[in-house]
Order: sequence, then C-alpha cells, then structure tokens
Amino acid sequence: MDSTETIDQSGILFVCHECDALQRVPAVEPGHDAECVRCGLRLFRNPKGSIDKPLALIIASIILFLIANTYPIMTLTIAGVKLTGTITDTAWVFVQQGSPEIAAIVWLPSVLFPGLTIAGLFYVLFSIRFQMNWPHTRTILAWITHLLPWGMMDVFLLGILVALVKLVALADVLLGTGFYAFLILIFLYAATIASLEPHTLWESLNVRADEQGAFENG
Amino acid sequence: MLELMSRVRLKMANEIVSAKDLGIAGCHTCGLAVNMQNHDHVECPRCGSEVHFRKPDSINRAWAFLIAAFIMYIPANTQPMMRTTSLGSESADTIMSGVIYFLSHGDWHLALVIFAASVMLPLLKIIAIAYILISIQRGSTQQKQEKTNLYRIAEILGKWSMLDIFVVGLMVMLVQLGRLTTIDPGPACIAFALVVILTMFAEEALDPKLIWDQTE
Repeated sequence: MDSTETIDQSGILFVCHECDALQRVPAVEPGHDAECVRCGLRLFRNPKGSIDKPLALIIASIILFLIANTYPIMTLTIAGVKLTGTITDTAWVFVQQGSPEIAAIVWLPSVLFPGLTIAGLFYVLFSIRFQMNWPHTRTILAWITHLLPWGMMDVFLLGILVALVKLVALADVLLGTGFYAFLILIFLYAATIASLEPHTLWESLNVRADEQGAFENG
Repeated sequence: MLELMSRVRLKMANEIVSAKDLGIAGCHTCGLAVNMQNHDHVECPRCGSEVHFRKPDSINRAWAFLIAAFIMYIPANTQPMMRTTSLGSESADTIMSGVIYFLSHGDWHLALVIFAASVMLPLLKIIAIAYILISIQRGSTQQKQEKTNLYRIAEILGKWSMLDIFVVGLMVMLVQLGRLTTIDPGPACIAFALVVILTMFAEEALDPKLIWDQTE
C-alpha cells in the first residue's frame, strides 16, 4: 500500500509538479479547472462530456492525419513545370541529397511524433472506453506524456505559410488538399488534448492501485 | 499511514506545505502523489515510472545542456541556412539575411516573425533558464512566482524556434527547378535544430520545484 491517493468528500491529494505544494483538490464541476493554491498552475481539469468526446476527436484526427500525409501540401508551377509533394516527400529529398539528419529534424516533429501520439491516444482511449484491457496501455500513456512536447505540427503549419510567401515570388503556388487537411488536423488535435485530463486517464488504467485499495481517510 | 494523513491535514490547515517536507513526491510522468516511505526513489504504483523528490542532478544537467545550446547558437546564426544555386551563381542565406530579404520586400510582419522565432526566442530562452539556475544556486527567495512564470513561458514558446528549419525544408523540396535553380540546406540547419533540442532538454532537466525550495 504505497499510494497516498484518496478520493473522498475532501478531494484528491495533489502535488503541484511545478512548486511541490501539497493540496487537496475538491470535486471540480464539468468544464472547470482547479489551480495550484501557491503557483497557479492548472492541477486538474474536468472536461465537459464523457470519454466518447476525445475518442471521437482522435478518430477524426487519424483520418485527417492520413489525408494530410498522403495528399500534396502545395503545388508549384514554374514555367509550365508542376512540382508537388507531401510532407514526407520533403524529408525524402534530404535523404536523397545525403543529409538524413536534416530529414530527421523535419520529419520527426511534423509527422512521426504527432502520428505516434495520435495512434497511442487512440489505443489507450479505445481500450478504456470499451474495457478491452489491451496490453501496455500504461507504458504507452507514459510515452505519450513524454512525446507530447516534441510534436510540432503547429510550428510546421506556420512554416508552410512562410515558405508560401517566399515561393510566391518564384512560382505560381496552389495550396493542396494536404494543406487543408493539415489545418483542420491541428484544430482537432488541440481539441482532443483539451478534452483530456491525464489524471482521469491514469485512474482509469490504475488496475494495480485498485487491487491494493486506496487507504482510508483518517 | 493514518498518522501520515493526519500530519497532512494538520499542516494543510495552517499553511501551504511542500510535499517533500512530508515525505511525499509527485510522479513526474502521471502526477500521482506517492508516499516515499523514507526512500530516495520508488517505482510509481500507478504508471511504473521512477519517482524522485526532485529531478536527479537537475542543476548540473540543465547547465550542461544550456551551455551546449549556447555554443550551437553561434553557428546557427552565422552559418548559412540555405544555399541557392541559380544559373551558375551561388548565394548563401543566413537567418539574418532572410530577415533582411523580407524587410527589403516590405514584408515587415514576416521579418518580425522570423527574427522573433529564430534569433530572439532561443537567446531569451537560454537567458531565462540561466537566470533561474543562477538564482537557485544563489539561494534566492525572491520572486518565486515570476521565475515559475518565466519557466512556463520558456517551455511553451521554445518549439517555435524550429520555424526556419521547416521553412528551409519546404523550400528545398518544392524548388526542384532542375537545371535552373537548386536550394540546399546549410550547416546552420543542424546547429539550429540542436539549439532547440538542447534548450528543450535543459528546460526538461531543470526542476522548477527547486525555485520554491529556497526558504528565508
């Protein structure tokens, strides 16, 4: 019995992960947040709606992720010659030019890391929602937590827009299906993250602590 | 255990108390409050990660990443980001020449975005983390809230420095003009990415709880 967590009328025991203040967070109404009493960090959020909402959003994200990465982001026409490609093509050009390290810098934060995060979240959410008890959900959720800051789709989108302005001087530029899918994906992805509370997800996966039983409030 | 809980209640009724003072640590991965039971580190019962009171060797690791990031910041801004070869003539663009290009074309908002994201942001992030580290080492008890806010801002904004690398990546791919023009990535790309990655590691290594550990 090494978990000091108790859920009862006086709330859940929280340690602020930025200032270490120990506090009880009382029950939070749906759509409201609880902030740290000392440093103001958001400790807990009770999103409106059930787990169906992030699950639906993540399924939509998967579809848009696939579209965004199979259709060209833009098409250039220079002197009658059409040039087009997906994000992965961008990286592949670098590999062919003999600089795989630059390919990695572009491709990992814009495609692989967000892709793994989306796939992993789907796995965890689906497993919780339909009580599948799929293996390794805790490991995957831990990985997603550490992977999240390395996904940079939003920065990449701004990069597309800056490149667009630079290229307009050189060629006729037409934004492709991939670009629009990417734009919608960023909003869906942000909405998915906003509709999740990590603490609640962890509690749903917390089989071991259930076996041990939370200790009583003295 | 019951005794611990009553200690928690008693303490919390009067003042804000750090979890560490009561032998409790928050898991860095899942956030669970874990009773450390006189151990230095334990396995989190909820997510299986290793739980520490404070991130191990936080100050030293943060400094190491930060100094490496600062060294990389120099080639990132002086070496070319991309080389454009057009009809036999070659030109190399650094970050600043890209900013000047936009300024000369009247796109001052874009010039500002690139300058802020590529030149100012990494430098400000390095200075911010260095400031927090120095103040922890000097045992400063002042402006804890401001330093925590600074840490948060650095954490949120850091990734936007990747902007110019993505721009170069897209340019290189899209401008395959065959015999007329080629664009190649320059050495600054790698240096730049390393600045972003190393500052993210530094910020990850730095434990903001150390700011609040300093008492009068």
